[in-house]
Parts: sequence; structure tokens; C-alpha cells
Amino acid sequence: MDALIHLDKVSKQYDSGAPAAVAEVTVTIAPGDAVAIMGQSGSGKSTLLNLIAALDRPTAGAVWVGGERVDRLSETAAARFRRRQVGMIFQFFNLLDDMTALDNILLPAQLAGTRAAAARERADELLVSLRIEHQRDAYPARLSGGQRQRVAIARALINNPAVLLADEPTGAVDTATGEEVGALLAELNAAGQTLVLVTHNPDLAARYTHRTIAIADGRITSGTSATARERALS
Amino acid sequence: MKAIIRAARGGLGGRRLQAVIIGLVALASTAASTLALAMLADSSSPFNRAFAAQHGANVTATVDTTVATVPQLAATAHAHGVTAAAGPFFEIPLTAQITLPGIAGSSAQQLTITGRSSPGGPVDDLYLSQGHWPDSDSQVVTAGDGTPGSTITVGSQKLVVVGVATSITSTSDAWVLPSEIPALATAAGARTGGSGQAQMLYQFSGAGTAAAISADVAALRAALPPGALAGTASWLDARQSEQSAIAPWVPFIIAFGLLTLVISVLIVVNVVSGAVIAGTTRIGVLKSVGFTPAQVVACYVVMVAVPALSGCVAGVVGGNLLAIPLLGQNAQVYQVGVLGVPLWADAAVPLAVLLLTAAGAVPPALRAGRLSAVAAIATGRAPRPARGYLAQRALARLIMLPRAVTLGLAAPFARPGRTLVTVLAVLFGVVAVTFGVGLGASLDRAITDGSRHAALPVSVTAVPPGSVAPGALNGPGGGAGSSGASQSVVVGRSLTAAQQQAAAAALAAQPGTLHDLAITEDHLSLPGVPAGVEVTAYGGDPAWAGLAPVSGHLYSGPDQVDVNTLFLTDTGTKVGSMYTLASGGRHLTVTIAGEVFQPGNQPDMFLSAATLHELNPAAGPSQYGVALKPGTDAQAYANTVSAVLGSSLAVTVNTGGSHLVAVVTLVAMLTIVIIIVAGLGVLNTVALQIRERAHAIGVFKAVGMVPLQTLVMIICSVAVTGLLAGVVAVPAGVALHHGLVPVMASAANSGTPPSLLSVYQPWEFLLLALAGLLIAVAGALGPASWAARARTAFALRAE
Repeated sequence: MDALIHLDKVSKQYDSGAPAAVAEVTVTIAPGDAVAIMGQSGSGKSTLLNLIAALDRPTAGAVWVGGERVDRLSETAAARFRRRQVGMIFQFFNLLDDMTALDNILLPAQLAGTRAAAARERADELLVSLRIEHQRDAYPARLSGGQRQRVAIARALINNPAVLLADEPTGAVDTATGEEVGALLAELNAAGQTLVLVTHNPDLAARYTHRTIAIADGRITSGTSATARERALS
Repeated sequence: MKAIIRAARGGLGGRRLQAVIIGLVALASTAASTLALAMLADSSSPFNRAFAAQHGANVTATVDTTVATVPQLAATAHAHGVTAAAGPFFEIPLTAQITLPGIAGSSAQQLTITGRSSPGGPVDDLYLSQGHWPDSDSQVVTAGDGTPGSTITVGSQKLVVVGVATSITSTSDAWVLPSEIPALATAAGARTGGSGQAQMLYQFSGAGTAAAISADVAALRAALPPGALAGTASWLDARQSEQSAIAPWVPFIIAFGLLTLVISVLIVVNVVSGAVIAGTTRIGVLKSVGFTPAQVVACYVVMVAVPALSGCVAGVVGGNLLAIPLLGQNAQVYQVGVLGVPLWADAAVPLAVLLLTAAGAVPPALRAGRLSAVAAIATGRAPRPARGYLAQRALARLIMLPRAVTLGLAAPFARPGRTLVTVLAVLFGVVAVTFGVGLGASLDRAITDGSRHAALPVSVTAVPPGSVAPGALNGPGGGAGSSGASQSVVVGRSLTAAQQQAAAAALAAQPGTLHDLAITEDHLSLPGVPAGVEVTAYGGDPAWAGLAPVSGHLYSGPDQVDVNTLFLTDTGTKVGSMYTLASGGRHLTVTIAGEVFQPGNQPDMFLSAATLHELNPAAGPSQYGVALKPGTDAQAYANTVSAVLGSSLAVTVNTGGSHLVAVVTLVAMLTIVIIIVAGLGVLNTVALQIRERAHAIGVFKAVGMVPLQTLVMIICSVAVTGLLAGVVAVPAGVALHHGLVPVMASAANSGTPPSLLSVYQPWEFLLLALAGLLIAVAGALGPASWAARARTAFALRAE
């Protein structure tokens, strides 16, 4: 099966002489897979996510997403790539406080130049499916943690991305809400959405993903190969 | 203290851009304010100093010695209010032939020569700048920048110039020993056998105002027989005419200085407040490691004071450098040594700018100093409650506009206070540009309207090679006399009848000739006006001469004249008044038909050749001025005419107004300084905005905003405010122009013709309004480009 995401000996060093944040990582993720990247604080897991999303460039190695090599893209090309292929979910939601939930959700579609009517229709769909249709005109400050994360997920999905990247999506919410968010992501994956989830919570990883990649001091310690599910499907 | 300095140094390192902006703004405002104050201080002090040093005469009286005897004149030293007196010094107004050493030929000049035994005295202590005082007959000392070795010939009397002297109130054109006067009077053809005229010089206890001078003159009149007092000259007129060299520019320098100061205040406050707010986290961290509130405040004030102080020091140097060329001109005039910026200005200006900087820094620093460490850190980390929600929402609905544009347009509403300051900075910048453009155009008009060179670009004169050209009395090196009030005038050589015929025929035959004008120049003495009046007579339509009416109309009939503002001021007349002119025993009463624009230190009169002929039949045209048809090249035309006329007549192309190029350059320079300062204000606003919204920008990029969209968003955040500021600023700039130009004209002893005010074209208003947009975009481009290029991960990590 063709990989959706392939990292080939990728390294990232922020300062010369400093230890690498990510060192010679090779990872393959198939379409429809749900993968957790686990590690302690400072292990390089968020850096790995940023490299997949072309938010940052590796100092060595290659990153392929959806058949496109993304580590050499210009800022403009990287932004266009993210519009099409990637939906980002952040630990602290990263919603814009001066925009309503609806405007937050619409933002990626508007930046991509999607027709207003089509974008609106898609946004309405997501609001309903994520059960936040009554919060469409609310500002983030008035939403609960769980609701904010739903808005963030809706924003990430508005452009129908190939992969959903979630960086500690339950890190800023309480346990119950975290369960809700986890279940929601599992639901999306069950519907075919490829999911890469960064977490330091092994329980979350076990319950809502198929495979866990462990990373420590920038190096993968386990889980790089295809999952049993992939082997079963191939 | 060490801890404060160390913390401040660390803070400065992390806020380099804001430090640079503070420094540059302080530099610009200090330099402009230093220049403005120096010009202000200079506008009155050099003359006053020279007047005191030379025991200048408050009143110079011209007396008729056929009416008052010498003892009577001497007795006026005890008239009411007189504190010192000198004279009587007999004098004679005459026409002399001037010959310069090394130059063949001579030219006629009207002079008043006074007999004095020495340059010194209780009043009007002359400053001898070259040569020596006459020690025998046939020697003369001239005023101004004369040339020792020249000769002045009056009939059979020949005088050799042995020295050059300066009278602070220009009491005479030349001085000889008293014994020389009767011979000169005889040679000049005086009927009385003597000069019939003498000069008395007075100092009064009260002479500070025109009213006081009038009272002093009344006291003199009362002390003398009726009719003895032929005329008086006031030191106040001399002071005003001397100061007029710099005085016209003082209002605009003040205006620009004030504009720069106001913008700088706005920007410093904006920069400093923003820098303190942006550094609140740091303040919280400092407090958490043990800094007291006072130490925190001190640390932050030091962070702001260091770049401000550097800017102020550089600004003082810059202001001095800018001021010295202008001040040096006055130093040369007044013989009072090299003038510099007063020390008090060098100290007061940077102090004021530093105080302003502190005023901006201290309040927000105090606020942060009072916060608890936790609150300060929390305030710094968490985004402040955003304003402008409504605007953001409303603009999001404008689906016809790109999203990046609407995001940018909403940004100013988030921080209305900062937006207002930015608008004001751009507004004042555009006011300066509008005013500068208008002033430049007015100065250009002043050049063309104030001289006939533009209207009559080609001249035909009777000045063969080797002869003294008109205006060259002061030597081959040229240069005007320093004391303008009684500047000697060279009357050009008159054209012979044959030359007039030849010139008229040659000009009529040229296809490029639009029209030509015979021009006769003369100089008449005026009672009580030491400078006399420059008379220009035209043998044709005076409108061809490019005269610009200020009030009334151009002369149109016999015995009508036009005069400049200084003539009206000096003679106490107005448009419509009758005035009697005298020359060589002839008298002519004329009507002042109009006031025309001729600024400067010399009364001017314009009339028809026929009118002048009534007064001085001997006067004839000394040149023809030629107006050219559109498209005619002046130099080619002059060459063609010159070839036809041969060597008997000189054909020249007139270029005038180069002396105002320096001022126009100064206007442009100051305008650019203000634009840069306004642009720095915008740059600071955008930089602060980017810093505050760095994380948001990171989110935008993470969800797909390309660098160009980031650039557009940030540019749009200041574009509308810039445009708005421009639209409001243009009428304000025009109003400033309309208010200031008459003040400047008045300082140049002139009224303001409408042509000096109607200088703006409709399309210029549009461009000027766009200047606000331009300033805003230019100021935003740097930080916007940086934000667009910044890597998304870096932006996302920003807090």
C-alpha cells in the first residue's frame, strides 16, 4: 500500500552544536491510519508534527505527504500544501479570540479562495456533525474547552484535508472532555480520516489509535513499521 | 544600580527595533527643534548686538541748512529725550561716475556723500573693514563691500576710495573729510554754493517702538525752525530690513519645527507605551526574581532613555550643522563674529525631548511596576481582551473582498488609541508634505513674480565688454552690500538713439519675439528714506514686465505709478495716495495706482517712460526686455540677435532666483525629515502589532495563509488609516500654507499677491491625499515583509 506520509531519515537541529530535536527519523503512515506519536516533554514529537505539516523544514532528510515532497517547499507553496492536505489541531486550540466560532471555522476555506456559499455549506455540515451548531456565533472566550476544541477540529476539517494532525488535543482540557475529544477523533478516523496524534498520554494513544510511535531524545524507539491493520488490509 | 543597568542592557538587546526608532525620532525632533530655536534666536540678536557695539543712531535726521544754522542744529543735542547726538555732518546727494580698478569704462551712480572728520563718535561709530579713513581731500570711504582703489568722479572732482566702512543704520553711501563737501557741491552743480543739507544723528532714551520714534522726531521738529527737518530715518526700519534676509523664513522654520516636534511627541509616546506594554512579561519576571517596583520602573526608563539620549546628542549635532550655514550669513553681515546655536538652545532642546520621552515611558512603567509578579506575567502572556470584535465580524461578511484584506482592515479597531496616534502622525506628515509642496510652488512664483526675468527672459543692453556692468560697483567679485538700506545703485548706461533703433529693428525682425519692452532705470532720493527709491520705467504695457499686483492695479495712465510694499511702509502712503517726486529741481506729483509684489530691502516704483520723462528728461532706456513666443529657445534667440546687433550691444539670457534654490532645498529637506518621522511612527505601530499578533499570524499561516496574504493583511491594517489621514490632512496643509505665506511675505516687506496662494492644482490634491497612504505603506512594508517571510513554526511559538 502506498504511504500517505513518509519521513526518510529526517533530522532537525535548531542551533548548530545543540542536540538534534529530531534525529534520523524514518516513519511511514498509510492512508486511513491513526497513529500516535508518544514521548516525554522535549522528545521531539511536536517537531515531527511540524515537519509533516511543513510548518518547519528539516535540516536533513526528506518528508513526503500525499506523494508530494514538502520539506523543500517555499513558504507560499507550504501554505498552499497545508490548505489542501493538512488540518491542524493544537493543544491550546489556537482559535482567534476576536472571531466567532463560525468565522474561525471558515478561515482556512476563505484563505484558500473557496466560494463563499460552498464554504458556508461545509461549515454548517461540520457544526452539526461536531454538535456545536448552537455555538456558531459565540466567541471562543464564551466556549468550554471541549467546545473550543470542536471548533478547532471543524476548522481543521473545512478543506477536507488528507491528514489530520493533532498536537496534544486533550492537553488543555479536563479528563471527561479529553475523552470526548478522543472519541471524536476516533470517529473521524473510523470514517476514513488519516490521523496523526501527538500525546504523552499512553491511555489516549492506546484507545484511539492503531499504532504508537515512541520517540525519545529525537529518535524513534519503536513503532515505525506498518501496523498489523495495514498488513491485514494489504 | 548594577542590576538595573544589567537588566536594562539585556532589555535593550531584545528590543533593538524599538530602540532604533526611539533614537531616530529623538534625533529628528531634536535636530529640527534646535534649528528652529537657533533661527528664532538669530532673527533679532545679531543686529541688536552690532547696533549697541556701534552706538547706532536711533534717528538719522536730514536737515535743510538753509533754514537751520549750525548752532541751532548743535543745540538739538539737548532736545527732549536725546541722550547722545552727533553732527551736523554736511552731505550732498549727487550722481557720480564710478571706475573700478582694472576695468575700463565707468558707470553712473547716485550717491549721498557725507563729510565726517573721523569714523568714530558718540553716535554711529563706523566700522572700518578695509583701508583707512580719509586723511586728505580727494579721498573717500565707501559703505558696504566697496573696492579700495576705485575712483568716484563728480564733475571735475576725482575721489579715490581709500577705505570701506559700515554704518549699522546705513547713514550714508560714502564719507569724505568735511572740507571736501563744498567742492563736491560745486562740482555737482548745486545752486546754493554749499550742499544745503546736513545729517544729524541721535540716540534717544525711548526709541524701542515706532510710536516712541514718532515722539522723538516730534521733539526734534519742535527744537528746530519750521521746515528745517527735511526727513528722518528710524533705526527700527533699518533693523527690519536687515532682518528681512532671514525673517521671511522664520515662520516656515517654526512651522516645520513645531510639526516635527508634535509628530515626534506622538511617536515617542506611542513607541514607549508600546514598548513597555510589550515588555510587561519581562517586568513580571524581574519582579519575581527580586526587583522592587522602583527598580523595575528605573530599569525600563533607562531602557528608553539610553536610545533617546543617543538620538538627542546626535540631533543637537545635526541641528547645529544645519543651522550654521544660515547663521554664518548673518555673521558676515553684522561683523559680530561667527554665530552659532545659542548654548541654551543646545541644552534646552535635548532636555525637552528627553523629558517628553520620560513622560511617555514613566506612566506605563509605573503601572507595570505596581502589578504583582504573577499579574505582570499573566498580563504579558495572555492576549489582552480584544477590542474591535464588531468590526472583525462586520468585515468578515464582506465576501467580495479577499479575506486577508478584511483581516487587515479590522486590525486598527483592536487598538483604537494606538490607531489614533498613528493617524495623527501620518496626518501631520501629510500636512507637512502639502505645505511643503505649496510653499515650494509659492517660492517659485515669488521668483517669477518678483523679478521680470521670467516674463522677459532676454535682455539687450548697452554694456560693451570692458565697461562696468550695472550692479557691479562692488568689484569684480560681485556681492551685494551688507547694509541694504542705503545700497548704492548702478544706473546702467543709456542706449543711444541709434542703438535703440537698431535694437528695436532687430527684435521686431525675429520670429521668436512675442513683444519687447524698453526699460529705463533711475534712482530717486526720497526725503526721510535713506535708500531712496529704485525707479523702473517701461516703454510699453507694464503687464509685459511680469509685475504681480498685490492690491490696486497696474498703472494705466500718465502720472500713475505702482510701488512695492516697502515704499508704502517707508513713506506712510497707501494705494490711491498722491506722492511728489523730485529730481534735479523738477517735481512731479503721481498717484499710486497699485501695490506690486517686489519683496526686499529696497523701495521700488514702476511707471511709464513718459511719466519718468516728465521728471527726468535725460533718462533713457538702458535695456530692452524681450518676451519670447512659446517654444522659442532663449539662448538660440539671444545668439541670433547678438549676431545681428554685433558688439555694440550685449544680448543676454536672464536667469534669476538661484538664491531661493537653497531655501527650496531646505523646505524639501525638512519635509522629508517629517515624512521619515511619520513613517517611523507607522513602522513602530506595525512592529508592535506584529509582535502582539505574532501567534495569531502563526495560526493564519498554519491554516493556509501564504506570505503574500500576510503582507496584504498587514499593509491593509494601516492603509485605510493612512488614506483617511491624508484626506483630512490636505485641507489642513492648504490652510497652513494660506496662513503662513502672507506672514512670510510680510516679513519680506511685501504684501501677498493672489498668485502666491493659488498654487495648488486639483490633481495635486489627489496625489497629496494619497501621500498618507504612501507613508503608511512605506512604514509598514519592512515589518510586514519580515512577518510574511517568518517561518510558521517560529511564529506559532511566539507569545
